[in-house]
Amino acid sequence: MGAAGLDYSAAGVPVRQDLRDAHQALLDHLRRPGAWLDGAERLAVASEARLAPGCALCRDRKAALSPGSLEGRHECTGALRDALVDVVHRVRTDPGRLSRDWFDRTGVGDGDYVEAVGIAAFSAGLDAFCRALGIPPFPLPEPLPGRPSRRRPEGLTPGIAWVPLLLPQDASGPDADVYGGAPFVPNIVRALSLVPDHVRALRRWSAAHYVEVGDLTARRALDRPQIELVAARVSALNECFY
Amino acid sequence: MDISRVNGAGDGRDGGVAHGARLVAFTDAAMGGDEGALRAERGALRRVLCGAAFVDTCATIGAFNVVDRIADATGIPLDEFMLARSAGVREELGLARFASARNTPGH
Repeated sequence: MGAAGLDYSAAGVPVRQDLRDAHQALLDHLRRPGAWLDGAERLAVASEARLAPGCALCRDRKAALSPGSLEGRHECTGALRDALVDVVHRVRTDPGRLSRDWFDRTGVGDGDYVEAVGIAAFSAGLDAFCRALGIPPFPLPEPLPGRPSRRRPEGLTPGIAWVPLLLPQDASGPDADVYGGAPFVPNIVRALSLVPDHVRALRRWSAAHYVEVGDLTARRALDRPQIELVAARVSALNECFY
Repeated sequence: MDISRVNGAGDGRDGGVAHGARLVAFTDAAMGGDEGALRAERGALRRVLCGAAFVDTCATIGAFNVVDRIADATGIPLDEFMLARSAGVREELGLARFASARNTPGH
């Protein structure tokens, strides 16, 4: 089954076309072979992320003063290795309390890590949109065949974040377009640049759901203070300092 | 704008943002686990916002559920230009209480 025919009818309101296009594009992005995971693995990550809120270990850790104080096994699909399951579940359910120490101990290579983080984040956002709107989460599509590229961008800079970043001045060759020529590229846009297609996906997603990076003039039915109030409240609830 | 609304504080008033109280209440319900509360807040928001504005609200909720996770899972620091400009707001909101503040040296 392809990523087609997304159903918004239960919302009872029209959903603008750029949002529909962004959701279709995101699901198409998830089903393709990526840099480090193939299509089936990427969709397994998305499935795992969807399952995580119902995981008892995640619920207990979320309630605990220190998430690392509780050991146990995640309730999971069984399709991914345990180390990746923990990454996906933690990113989905308790991202604000992730730590450098935890990252260093995941046992997941940085390419797999960034690819999985992106997928877990995208699926959380897509599901949050659907839930807020009052429609069922979109079914995940079937994976496309093919192997991951295993291509690591040239010119990555370590040491700024937990994972190496591709700075705009170093984006070249197949990655030359990754930031779209924007005059300023904040760290949030650089964060997934170990997997350049995730950056492209994030830019498409953000342009429809928020504003395009650097464009403060985008017209929405909500005014700018309303948008920023909702955005800031979400981030406060997610305990996100950035 | 009364930015204390960001922390859910306030007296239920809008704080200088059109329908601010309803927007915060809906956001809280959308981020929480109570389906009944979400249905109620959705209905309340739909009564004061047009359909397009309601969809924009949902889109914003979706947007920041993505970027918050990306930021906190990659350990990116707050950009330098924002660090200086946002000091007062960050202090007023008490953002240093978040564990993810550790990712920004000198915050």
